[in-house]
Parts: sequence; structure tokens; C-alpha cells
Amino acid sequence: MAVAKFGTFFAMLNASSSLRREIAAASVAGLVGGLIIAAAMQERGLTVEVTGLLGLSSSAGGLSLHMLLAALAGAAFGAIFRYQPHSYATTITSGVIFGLLVWIIGPLTLRPLLDGASPTWSTTEAAAAFPSLIGHLLYGGVTGLGFHLLVTLDRRVHPTRPAPAVETQPLKRIVILGGGFGGLGAAQRLEQLDMRQAGLKITLVSQSNYLLFTPMLAEVASSSLEAQHISAPVRAACRRTHFRQAAVDSIDATAKVVRVRTNDSTTVASLHYDHLVVALGAIPNFYGLPGLEEHSFTLKTLDDATRIRSRVLSALERAEIEPDPAERRRLLTFVVAGGGFAGTETVAELFDLARSVRRYYPHLERQDFRFLLVHGGDRILPELGAELGAYALEKLRRRGIEFLLGRRVAGATSDAVLLDDGSEVPTRTFVWTAGNQPNPLLKTLPCEQNRGGQVVVDGTLRVQGLDDVWAVGDCAQIPDPYNEGQFYPPTAQHALREGKVVAENIVAALRGESLKEFRFRTIGTLVALGHRTAVAEIYGVRFSGLVAWLMWRSIYLSKLPGMERKVRVTLDWALDLFFPRDIALTSSVSPPAESAGPKRLDDRSTREPATTSGEERMKT
Amino acid sequence: MIRSDSLLGCMLLGALAGQFGGLIFGLAMLELGDLDSVASVLRIDDSFFVGVPLHVAIAAVVGAGFGALVWHQRSGAGDTLLWGLTYGALWWFVGPLTLRPLFEGGGLAWDVPSAQAAFAPLLGHLLYGAATGVGLLALRRQRIRWPARGELTRGVLAGLVAGCIVGAVLSSQARLHLFAAMSEEDATAITWLVLLSISGLSGMGFALLVPRPSDSAGAGLVRGSMYGFLLWALLNRTILPLIAGDGLPWSANDARGDFAALFAYLLFGGILGLGYQWLDALWRILFADDIGEDDEEGAGTRGLRAIGRGVIAGLVGGLLFTYVMVEIRGLEDVADLVRTDSATAGLAVHFLIAVTWGVTYGLLFRRQAHDRGSAIGWGVSYGFFVWVVGPNTLMPILLGSTPDWTADSAAGLTASLVGHLVYGAGLGITFHHFEAKYSPWWMPHGMAAAARATRRREQVLTSAPALWALVVVIGITLPVVLATAAATSSSGYGGGP
Repeated sequence: MAVAKFGTFFAMLNASSSLRREIAAASVAGLVGGLIIAAAMQERGLTVEVTGLLGLSSSAGGLSLHMLLAALAGAAFGAIFRYQPHSYATTITSGVIFGLLVWIIGPLTLRPLLDGASPTWSTTEAAAAFPSLIGHLLYGGVTGLGFHLLVTLDRRVHPTRPAPAVETQPLKRIVILGGGFGGLGAAQRLEQLDMRQAGLKITLVSQSNYLLFTPMLAEVASSSLEAQHISAPVRAACRRTHFRQAAVDSIDATAKVVRVRTNDSTTVASLHYDHLVVALGAIPNFYGLPGLEEHSFTLKTLDDATRIRSRVLSALERAEIEPDPAERRRLLTFVVAGGGFAGTETVAELFDLARSVRRYYPHLERQDFRFLLVHGGDRILPELGAELGAYALEKLRRRGIEFLLGRRVAGATSDAVLLDDGSEVPTRTFVWTAGNQPNPLLKTLPCEQNRGGQVVVDGTLRVQGLDDVWAVGDCAQIPDPYNEGQFYPPTAQHALREGKVVAENIVAALRGESLKEFRFRTIGTLVALGHRTAVAEIYGVRFSGLVAWLMWRSIYLSKLPGMERKVRVTLDWALDLFFPRDIALTSSVSPPAESAGPKRLDDRSTREPATTSGEERMKT
Repeated sequence: MIRSDSLLGCMLLGALAGQFGGLIFGLAMLELGDLDSVASVLRIDDSFFVGVPLHVAIAAVVGAGFGALVWHQRSGAGDTLLWGLTYGALWWFVGPLTLRPLFEGGGLAWDVPSAQAAFAPLLGHLLYGAATGVGLLALRRQRIRWPARGELTRGVLAGLVAGCIVGAVLSSQARLHLFAAMSEEDATAITWLVLLSISGLSGMGFALLVPRPSDSAGAGLVRGSMYGFLLWALLNRTILPLIAGDGLPWSANDARGDFAALFAYLLFGGILGLGYQWLDALWRILFADDIGEDDEEGAGTRGLRAIGRGVIAGLVGGLLFTYVMVEIRGLEDVADLVRTDSATAGLAVHFLIAVTWGVTYGLLFRRQAHDRGSAIGWGVSYGFFVWVVGPNTLMPILLGSTPDWTADSAAGLTASLVGHLVYGAGLGITFHHFEAKYSPWWMPHGMAAAARATRRREQVLTSAPALWALVVVIGITLPVVLATAAATSSSGYGGGP
């Protein structure tokens, strides 16, 4: 490890030969400065101070030590302050400041320490070291001036040396597809790496111009958070990335071109790349079940969340005036399919929403409402272990949420959900969180894919069988080196870290260095159950109830990108404590009884979600 | 007609400007009756006829050096003047303390008694440098941007506020008269009146020097405190005593006796610079159609970010300072602030203070340092200012007594000064590290931003580097030189041993 670090250090030195030359010039200047001061002090009859330091009795030994230190300090000066053309005045004054700092560190601090005393920095001591203060100030000034002159001379003699040659190299084009956690994480890390050594042109293509913070999506659906507050605009988060709001049309890995189309436009633009990062995420999978695509809500985007919220509120509005008890019951029945994180949180949040706004609807009784979660397995939250799953189930059941375990949804109509045992549940609101699939566009890539449609990558996130194409996030199958034969789960927390690693690996590949394997241990899992309860498992320790809920809020708040959004969400939460939830209906979603199903504004087949799949959660 | 765009031309102009500086310096020497002694450089007896030409020649040579120094720098009024001041201060080390004794055949005058003896030349060099700066400014005939009436008003306002604050601190120590070099017998009302008129005029002068600052409030603070230092040398040490007919109090002992005036002017200038910058910003927010800064994020975002980085930078600086505190057993003193004497409580208070100053640094100096050199410069300068405001002023007030601005009490805080300078360096470097890592404002991400970044990067061409050096040099030199009672107080041109 240390060797590797050292190697990087030297690579850095090689990369910027100007730094090396400047350090050399500065140490020569330091020598000159030291020599002048030594000569002056000898003239004054002052011995060069360091003589006594190492018990060197001969003044020749002291002098050489003095010169060595002077050269070293000069080198440090050059490394810290660097050369700037024409700014010799600044270099001189910087030298004076540097001289003073060296005086504080050297004669005032290290010298007493080496003598076995403790430094006091008292006036007496400072007055005693006053000659050396002046010496150091002059040394600094002379070193600064000498440094500037030497480098200027060097640049005159070797005019071809300086950096412009590097700048004229063509920029390496890196195209990132997808603005989710993986894509954004990669873009941010690439920007950081690019700052150290320029030469990248980073382009990010995404259909939405913001990163969606999926863990809080259910709270938007339940009206406790403002929709836009859980989004982070890509342009704000990645200031140096060229952002393009567009849909990906096709990827040509042989010609190294991506074709993108701006929304609602037929013109296709070609983006050439040197390296491509595929982070297209996942979209809902309906497994071809009849009626699902038309009649169910999903929870993947901000629009989805707003639509669910509007549907629930308009169902309440209709139920309030509905004379038919059966239809009324149908309107007040809310069915969620899928007992994973997203499904459980959604049903809990919808329950909270209905409970907190019921007082506005005087004709609705508590027992009129029905909340139902359909789950194929025998316990909810399988990722969390039996105990916490049972706790969550018990907690939610006691509130009045019904669970149909071991049952599957077989289809949906505009007014009912069909189950696999032939029964049907009459409802107007059905949320589907029980399946995800990678973006269908990946099928066009000529590379290996697993059964679920994920692109197969190696440990370094390189797509198998394609040159210079990398994949991260939900759309990639990434081997987990800690568990042989296992793959990393499609969570936001993983995607973010995969993005960083892929950025480092791309830069390493461009420099011809060795690639890094992606390794990450899941730290923990948190699920909010609404109504100030949550369950959590962190480092194998389990939490539940209020403590877990506080952890959920604080941890996710800290993970929310951007200070401004943190403040906004905090304010939303604070207001939610004191005021009832907002029931204003603004969306154009059609009222439940008349609609054929949730209105979708976008084309599913080419749609690329901004986020990781809804079935999972960011793990901390 | 000499043109200043060639190095030689600028040096020639500098030599001419040096005559103006030399004239001021020479007049002061005449007043002190010491002009003739300059002849001793040539190892001959004091002689007016050798002394004056020699003085003129030296002034020309040193002035030419100044011309070369600022050849590439910005030629604004404030910038040139402050470079001149710094140049004068640095030349004091080179001239009276080094070259002159060497020429006279003695050894170097690098010890404290010699420095005390050469205190009058220090003031002389400061005035020489400032006057040379003004002279060069006039000779270069660059278009000077004169301040508008609104700017002068803001200057006066900031000056009055600063004057009130400093006056209050001074009068709590019963030293109000020191500000305007008056006598203790003068009526309080008159003393206040004089103080406030000086403050207002000084504020106007500041607006004249830097009418439209483009940097942050922190830069204004450092610039202002060095402007205050100039006022100390010019007004408090020279003009006001001459008006009062007291002769020039240029000796180290005089300065030591009136030590509070030095702190008062430093603080006055700092508050003036800060206040002027804030008033200017307020003015822009309220009345100007400000479209220049439209690339900035909102004040909330950048403020919170600066606070966060300031906290971490303050902790790092505080950690460096802790070593000094432990060695000098200063933690118990700090613990007094919370009325205990346990070292643990002291450590907590110490870090709390370090973080608080770190946050103010973050807010004041955000986007000011673009490389490590400027980070150290701003950080160390701020560290010095914190030393003046913190242990010397606020700490006694918080402990329930009054600040004691004497050379003795400042001397007792030398270790603290060293700690604060180191704290400032750590603070500046760490803060810069975070800015460089996450939001390097000087690295453009577009054509428009590139132009703005370049303008800001030209900070090295302003007087900022001069300010850092001046703060550092006077910050450490004056307390040490003035601390110990001056053995000899000959007011010579430059006394060798």
C-alpha cells in the first residue's frame, strides 16, 4: 500500500516536471539565501545557530548542517508557494512570511526541544532569538527572489518545457448515461480527478435534469415532503459536467457513439466517447400480467409520487360524496403489491396520509378505509431478517393495515386487483412495487447479460466483451468479492460508491495504471414505517421504534445531496410536526371513477428512470 | 517623458518618487537633529554636506528598487501605497539593521537593543515607503478612479463606527487621549470630538484609496488594519504630535509608553475596512442593479458551506495551537472564561474559540485564497488580528476586567501570538484545501466564469501579498522590540552597536 502511494507520488512528480524543476530551483535559492545569512552572521560574530544542535563542535559541520537546512527549507518553499510569472513581488513577500514561520518552527520551537527543554515562546526567548528572526526574514526574502529569478531564467532557457503542450492534447471524452446515484457519483468523482490533472470532457445524459433521492419518495406520495425538495439538480451538483437532457436512442459500441434524442424531438444527436459509463438504472417490471401496466401506479419518479398523492386525495374527495357504499368502499381501499422496502414504506405512508387528513372529510369513518399489502413471500422485508420483519408486520397490523402473504397479484382492472387464487379485491388505487427490470435499451448491447437483463461486468466494473464501456448501478451485475458467487444488491448506496470507483478506474485506464476492484460492505438497512416508527439494522445491531425512526431521519437527511435541500427537507419535516398535511389537489390526474387507469405522460419503452429501483433502499 | 511600462522607466520613476519619500524622511531626521549622522555610512564624521547628498542618493536607489518591485503590480492608489508601506518596513531590516552597520564597519545590528535604538528609522522608513508609493502613483499618471460621493459617505460612516468602538475600549482603559496624541488634561468631550473627526476623515481617506473593493470583507479587514498601521505612523506618531508642538515621539520608549495607540489604530483600521466592505455590499444589495455576481449560489448555500469548512479548519488550527497552549499551561487561563480551572474544561473552551474564529474566517475569507501561498497569507494575517481582538481585548472584557493595551501585557502574550499565527496558518491552509477539493472557484467551468476567475486570480497583483508580509513582520517585531524596556533610546538614523 505504502509502495503504491509512493509510486503515485512519483508518478505525480513525473507528471508535473515543472514542480520538480521549481523545487530544484527553490532549493538552490535556499542555498544562496542560507549562504548570505551565514556570511552575515559570521561577520556579526554570531555563530550559526544550528551548530549546537547536534553537538557538532566544528563550525564546518555546523555550517554544512545550516546549508542543508537552508536548501531543504527552500525546497519546501518552492513546493508550497509555486512559481507565478511576473509575480516576483509576491514571491518576495511570501518568502518573508515563510521565513517567519520557519523561525517559529525552528529556533523558537524545535531548538529548545532538541536541547531537551520545552519551548516557552516567551518574550525573553523571542528577544534572544531576535537576531535569528531577522536572519530568517532576510533568508526568506532572498530565497523568494532567487527562486523567482532562477525559474524565470530556466523558462527562458527551456521555453518548450512548460505545460501548454499538455493542454493542446485532445480532451478525453467520457459519456455517462443516466443521472441516478451511479451516474452522478461517477460524474462528481471524475470532476474531482479532472481538477488535479485536466484533460477530460465529461458529458452526462439523462432524461430528468435532477437526481432523485428515492428513499424519501414515499414521503412525497404521502404529502409530507414537497416533491421538488428531494431532487438535486444535476447542473448544480456537477458544475463542470456537460449536461444534456435527452433520451438515449442507441449505443454503438464499435463506432463508440451514443445517439441521443431530446425529449419530444426527432433530431438525433451523436455523442462520441472514449469511455462510456452505463448507469441507466431500472424500470418497473410487470411480468406481462394483464392490466397492470394500465391500471397500476408505480413509485419510481417524482411524477409517480405526485400521481399517487393526487389519486389518494381525489379518492377521498369522491368518497366523501359517494352515495353507493360499495363504490365508496372501493374508493377507500388502497392496495400495494410487494413487501419489500418500497412497498412497506408506501403502504405505511399512505395510511399516515389518510389518517392525518381524514378530519377534513366528516362523512368518512375510520372503518371505511382499507389498506392492503399483497406479498408473495411468507414475511415482509425479507432483507431485514425474521425478527425485524415480524416486528414491522405486527406494528403495521396493529394500526389496521391488512397483509396478504404468500399471495400474488395476477392482474388488474380499473376497479379491482385480481389475485392468483382467483379472488379479487375491489379498489381504485393500486400501487405496484413488486418487480423491476434493467432498462430495455441494454438488450441492444452486444455483450453478456444475465437472466434478469443486467449487463455482466467484472470486479472493476468493466462490461464483459466490450471495450471502454463500464456499467454501474441497477443495470449491472457486479460480483461481490466478499461472498463468492453472489452479486451486489441494486441499492442507491452501492450505486453511489460504484460510480466513484468507475470514475477512478476510467482515469487509471487512461493513464495505463492498474484498475481497482469494487469492494463495499453494506453497513446497514433502514425502513421507515410511518408514524414515528422504523426498523433498522446497522452493523448487525437491530433497532426498532422511535430510535430507529430518528436514525432513519438523521441518516437519510445527511445523505440527501446539497445543503439547500437538507434545509428544505428539515423545514418540511418541522412543519409537518405542527401543521396538518396539505390536501390541495393540483395535478391533472383524472378522478378515479372515470379514469381507465393512471395516466402516464411518458413512453415506458425508452424511458430511463432517474433513480435506482423502487424495490430497494439506500443502505447506510 | 519617462514611461512606466518598461522596467527601466519604472525604476527611474521610482527613483524620482524616492526623492519625495526621502524628503519626508529627511525632514523628520532634521526635526530629530539626526540627518548629519548618515555620513557615518562612509565612515566619516557627521556632516551636513555629506549627509544630505548621501541621503538623496540612497533615497533614489531604494526608490528605484521600489519601482522595480511594483512594476508588474496593479497601479491603483491603495495598492501602490500599501506596497510602499511594506517595502519601507522590509527595507528597515535591510538598511538600518544590516547594511548600514556593515558599511560603518560594525557588526550586524540584529539584536533587540539595536532594533530599539533604530526605532526612529523604522517609522522613517514606513513614511518613506508610503510617500514613495504616493510619489510613484503621481508620476505614473495612471488614470486613478476617484471615489463617488456615496463611497466617501460610506467611508466616513465606517470610520465613525470604528472610531466609536475603539474609543469606547480606549476610554475604558482611561487612555482615550492616546488616539489623537492629546494630553490627559484635555476635556473628554473635546478628546472624543477630535477622535471622531479623525475617524471620519480617515474613513474618507480609506474610501479614497480603495473605492470599489472587489474582494471579500476579510480582505477588507486585513487591508484596513494595515491602513490603520499607516495612520498610526503618520498621524499618531508624526502629524498630530507636530501639531501639538511636542516634537516627534519616534523613539522606542515613546512608542512603548503609548503602546495602546498602536493597538487602537490596528483595531480601528480593521473595523473600518470590514465596515466599509459591508456597507459597500449592503449598498449594492439595496440600491445597485447587481448582475455582476449572478454566478454565485445563494447566500445560504455558500454561507453554510463556508461555515462547515470553517468549523473543520478551525479545529485543525486549534489542534496546532493546542500544543502551544499545553506547553505554556494556557488551558487553565482559558478555563477562567467558564469560571473553572480544570484543563479539560479549558481544552473544550479553547476548541470552541478556535471553531468560532474558524467560522468567522470561513465567512470573511471565502473564495479569497486560490493557492497555498495566499491561503497562508490570509490565514496568518487573520491569526494576528485575532490575537489583537481575542486575548488582548475580548478575553479581559469577558473575564470582567478591562483590556490592558500595554507593551508589558502584550509581551506577556508573545507565546499566544505565536500560537495565533500558527493557528492562522493551519486555518488558512485547511480551509483552502477544502475549497480546492470541492469548489475551486478559480477553475473555470465556462467561458464567462473563466473571465471572472482570471480577474480574481489577479489578487497577486494587488496589494494583498504586501499586506500579508506587513502584518507578519510588524506583528512579531513590534511586540518583541517594544516589550523590553529600551536601554538606549537614541533617535539616530540607524544606530549600530
